[in-house]
Amino acid sequence: MLSLHEVESRLDLWGGVFKLWERDSHNVEIMWNLNLAGINLEFSMRTMVMTWIVMILVVVFCVAATRKLDMRRPGGLQNVMEIIFEMIRGQINQAMDPQKGSSIISIIMTFLIFILFSNLLGLIPTLMSPTANPNTAFALSLTTFALIWFYGIKYKGIRYFSHWFKPNIVFLPINLIEEFVKPVTLAARLFGNIYAGEVLICTWLGMFTGWYYLTGGFIAEMIWLAFSVFVSVIQAYIFSVLSINYIGSAMTTEDH
Amino acid sequence: MENFPNSSLIAQIINFVLLVFLLKKFAFKPLGKMLSDRQKLIADNIATAEQEREQAALIKAEYEAEMQRTREHAQEIIQKATKAAEEKAAEVMESAKDEAKRLKDAALAEIRNEKEKAVVDMRDQAASLAILVAGKIIDQRLDESMQREMVQEFVKEAGDLLC
Repeated sequence: MLSLHEVESRLDLWGGVFKLWERDSHNVEIMWNLNLAGINLEFSMRTMVMTWIVMILVVVFCVAATRKLDMRRPGGLQNVMEIIFEMIRGQINQAMDPQKGSSIISIIMTFLIFILFSNLLGLIPTLMSPTANPNTAFALSLTTFALIWFYGIKYKGIRYFSHWFKPNIVFLPINLIEEFVKPVTLAARLFGNIYAGEVLICTWLGMFTGWYYLTGGFIAEMIWLAFSVFVSVIQAYIFSVLSINYIGSAMTTEDH
Repeated sequence: MENFPNSSLIAQIINFVLLVFLLKKFAFKPLGKMLSDRQKLIADNIATAEQEREQAALIKAEYEAEMQRTREHAQEIIQKATKAAEEKAAEVMESAKDEAKRLKDAALAEIRNEKEKAVVDMRDQAASLAILVAGKIIDQRLDESMQREMVQEFVKEAGDLLC
């Protein structure tokens, strides 16, 4: 039985080339440092490179799907894109005024497709999900948080903050917690699911080695991979739909 | 959870925003436009189809009215023609009847004339014959004028009996 880091270092086929999986003597990921005008910036290169891969894949997929749009006889990828687009638009129209909702449809579509691709990338051996890094998950949920405030203030003005004092001022702490817990739960849910999925993949690989793996150990791994595909889709969907609902409830005039 | 938060977070936000702009420009805008175009096309098609159906119904109603009118007109013509023919037939019958009556009358008159003529002729001949016969039979017993008178009377009686 191998430890997690042993499995990771054995899987690291790229290490010699890109040095993305390198760890220091305390087994901590080596960061890429950038000193910009006196501020020291640290980047997790592994996450960044994986994000760029996902971005390229997403752009290629979306552009390929919408390259030759056919109004009368949609085929192949265009159908897939249309189904996703219509689904997201349906969710948006349920949650808010379609007129207002048309401005966020591109963002929500990007959420869905980007998170889906990110989650699935981690299932490919030697690669990892950008969303298995908390920085990515929080980056996405903070974007949602910014959108909630942006649209809340855009459509309600300063009165948006009045819901903190409903039903009366005693509830201010609870309302504040509710407000700021939204992005945290969004990010934690996504990160937790995907990170756990990756850890478990490595764990299965470490647990059943050699003959154990060949004589049945692979079944556990296989089931878990299939389940991870399911989880990847569900998490991408949940993140998108919750974002829609948070933004929608911030836009609509008077409730909760 | 190692190294959280770090600058990757900001980088990821920038990455995401960049991705949103790229996809919006190259994928979602054309897609949304195509979808709304399609919606418009379908709505247009439905509207056109409805309009055409209405027009067709209108034309059908017009056509049917026209048919009805034509049928009535034809009926009228037939009726008129029938009536005229009947009148004509009656007229012809009437004139034929008149003609027949006239012909019959003429024939009767002629027959009567002929008969009268024949009777007169017959009377004359009978008288002459009788005179001849009587003269031969009775011989000279009566004079001729007396004989004639008697024979005339006899012939008249005979003629009355004959006719």
